[in-house]
Amino acid sequence: MPELRIEATINGRKIARGAAPHQRLLDFLREDMHLTGTKDGCGAGECGACSVFVDGVLMKSCLMPIGKAQGSQIDTVEGLAQKGELSLLQKAFHKTGASQCGYCIPGMVMAATSALRINPFADREEIKERLGGNICRCTGYQKIFDAVELARDVQNGRLPATALLEDEPEEGKYIGANVRRLDAPSKVSGALKYAGDMTMPGMLHMQVLRSPHAHAVIESIDTSEAEAMIGVEGVITCADVPGEDGFGVFVHDQPVMARGKVRYVGEAVAAVASEDLVTAKLALSKIKVRYKPLPAVFDPHEAMKPDAPLLHDYAPDNVTKHIPIRKGDVEAGFAQSDLVVEQDYDTQAIEHAYLEPEAGLGYVDHDGVVTIVSPSQNITHHRHMLAKIIAKPINKVRFIMSPVGGGFGGKEDMIYQGMLALMTMKTGRPVRLVFTREESIATTAKRHPSRTTLRMGLTRDGRIQAVSLKMVCDGGAYGLSTEGVMRKAAILGAGPYNIENLQVDTIGVYTNNTPSGAFRSFGALQTQFATESHLDICAERLGLDPFEIRRINAMRDGAQTHTKQQLKSVSYLRVLEAAERASKWEKGAPLSRGDARADFANEGEGVRASCSLGARFHANATREAAE
Amino acid sequence: MLLCDEYLTPKSLDDAFDLIEANRGRYRLVAGATDLLPWAREGRAGDVHIPVLIDVSRIAELRERSADDKRVRLGAATPIQRLLDDAALGRAMPAMPRCAVWFADDQLREAATIGGNVINASPAADGTPPLFAHDAVLVLARRNDGKTETRRLKIGEFITGPGKTALADDEILTTIECEALPGYGGSFEKVGHRRSLVISTVCLAALVKLDATGRKFEGVRLCIGSIGPVPDRLREVEQFLLSGALTMSRLEQAAEMPVSLVRSRTRQDYRREVVRGFMLRGLFNAARRAGADPSVLTAEMEAVCA
Repeated sequence: MPELRIEATINGRKIARGAAPHQRLLDFLREDMHLTGTKDGCGAGECGACSVFVDGVLMKSCLMPIGKAQGSQIDTVEGLAQKGELSLLQKAFHKTGASQCGYCIPGMVMAATSALRINPFADREEIKERLGGNICRCTGYQKIFDAVELARDVQNGRLPATALLEDEPEEGKYIGANVRRLDAPSKVSGALKYAGDMTMPGMLHMQVLRSPHAHAVIESIDTSEAEAMIGVEGVITCADVPGEDGFGVFVHDQPVMARGKVRYVGEAVAAVASEDLVTAKLALSKIKVRYKPLPAVFDPHEAMKPDAPLLHDYAPDNVTKHIPIRKGDVEAGFAQSDLVVEQDYDTQAIEHAYLEPEAGLGYVDHDGVVTIVSPSQNITHHRHMLAKIIAKPINKVRFIMSPVGGGFGGKEDMIYQGMLALMTMKTGRPVRLVFTREESIATTAKRHPSRTTLRMGLTRDGRIQAVSLKMVCDGGAYGLSTEGVMRKAAILGAGPYNIENLQVDTIGVYTNNTPSGAFRSFGALQTQFATESHLDICAERLGLDPFEIRRINAMRDGAQTHTKQQLKSVSYLRVLEAAERASKWEKGAPLSRGDARADFANEGEGVRASCSLGARFHANATREAAE
Repeated sequence: MLLCDEYLTPKSLDDAFDLIEANRGRYRLVAGATDLLPWAREGRAGDVHIPVLIDVSRIAELRERSADDKRVRLGAATPIQRLLDDAALGRAMPAMPRCAVWFADDQLREAATIGGNVINASPAADGTPPLFAHDAVLVLARRNDGKTETRRLKIGEFITGPGKTALADDEILTTIECEALPGYGGSFEKVGHRRSLVISTVCLAALVKLDATGRKFEGVRLCIGSIGPVPDRLREVEQFLLSGALTMSRLEQAAEMPVSLVRSRTRQDYRREVVRGFMLRGLFNAARRAGADPSVLTAEMEAVCA
């Protein structure tokens, strides 16, 4: 391939070297210059994890062909401070706890540096605006904005430099104290290596061929042409699995790569490892798979019907898991109620969208230990499953958890680590796989889409007499965490309320959609969304204050949960009180809406102004007026 | 993934035409690359191989820009961020800085070019409605028998549909010319799912000038984006607003007029509501910035419009 000769200055040092013409500045920095502080989060200019300075101007390096960087001066997060030191902003990020998973943080630090260079007096609104191109999925941004304001004030002399130091902890007190993260310096400086940042000598690059069909029989897979390509070192399919093929958090129903049939669009079918990424990508197009499409089902209610297409032989009704809870006599409870309200509540699939797409590095060490480095949220379980899959004793399998660039439950599933193990065993070389953002969204678990049918009976004074709650969830093509999600949804769904008569059914169902899995709150969100919405509706119907109806029914110290767990202390009333105070709730039944309410006037403290931009225009006007 | 065998960066129009002639049929022009690279990914074009990419963003002729009280000349490779931070441009094109601040984010605006935004011809483009409002003319150059020829097209003739333009083979958009509108007040209203990095669901460029009394419009330019295949210049509404005093009831009448133009494929009812609201807000904001008599811009009007 003809090369471009790139001459540039990177972090103050002149460089001159060849680059492939299709490379982006991001690839060049990460792969050729080993400056992995600049991250790849989306490759489409949406997330800002790759922000760098080009001739002093902040740019997204994922959207810059390397040819554009010719002759320019490039500064990355590694160049913001002397080695071993932190810049003022990096110290401020450390101080305020602005870095959580840390994956967005190098880009954030760059954007913040740019913002304060352009306007050292930027107010919070202008800071928000200038950081608008950088996405964080952990923090909710407030601590990041706090950090930029802190750095601004120290820089401008409004605060002493000591404001950047760690607060003196009270003697022996850690809970409730502001303790700084140990790993924050490595995150704000870009030094921390995530799996996709790691390399090994002789490392191969892996790419995965994925199913275009939601449900189809695999009649044949012909990998011969791909295997014959120069640079291709290995091709694997399910035929390369030496042991018992199957993984999942509860039921091991998912093969490492599709076996016999595919069950969702994006399911792994084969994988290629080669000396470089482009060859691996080209090789995928040489693999010939013959599919025979099958009828597919995309709705969990449809999937439970007797004539629905079946996904797994072991589940003849397509039910992954049904969790029932029975307590008291719900019919009697409804009979003694003054008001019975029934309503459906739907929630949709949600993508975790951690800034770090899935990545992993696999190698077989000198003792024959198959080793997988990945941001797995469940390495011990993965290790046990993988040992069976590759038919090795447990002491020949090692999982190393790399820093997790955001997980939220989405990295609990052993969705690609098995392929890395098979490929490194087959080739004898270290192998790395880095998902693209699109691959991450299309192929990994989502929050379960759900429909909750909730029936609640109450007396006129707001006391709950009976609840019947049924949730049907779309579990997608494989089990993953569905069983656990159904359990949590059932246990917690009816909320922290005393309910004498309760009937709960949570049902996870196989469909040909992308598998659903773990996601923060793990099923409680879906059912509690229904329960809490329902209580608001019932309060309105009974003419009661929504906080009051909750207080009337709240579990208190010593209460017993719906599954008979005795609770010593229950903090719910304190939570309610705090929420009521913070929302400045206008007391009474929620019979009015919008501007008429004192707690929801268009303006005022606690209510955010509608979406707008242009803080810098106000800042400019103020500055001009001052001059 | 975007693959290419050569990435060429000509510095002059002559060099560019040499490269075009040498690579006919196997090249593609690229300016900011902010649309091209996301396009060549899974779910859109997938892996794309273009043998030769010719980057026009360093061509000197395409980087020039000038603005005075009469005319604005924007080299096609002018980064969008200059439309935000170049004060002279802002005076000549009063809605443009407010358009630019909503365009992608600060970082992409340094790469993305105004010419690229025009040629991309997205129905949801943010940069084109202000250009329609300024009656922009596009200068297109090509080399024919060794000589560089240019032609000029009005922007409304150039953009012919979603992603479609009248750009001929081997032609380069070099310059965008338009009349300057100093003394106008400008506004740009936009809504999408978030503030930065978002494609417009509806956007509106409004430019107005008041007469000496400050109570009547002397000039009105309005263009809506993202509600049809190409931006809609609202000439009828402009004529209506010029025909009477600036009052709440006339603003409300004007706001109703373009509602029927909404013909997007999705969310039509929502867009109709937004169009109504944006017309009021856009005209009010532009009138205030144009120095309308404060007694005309009543508190009631502000409560409804702003």
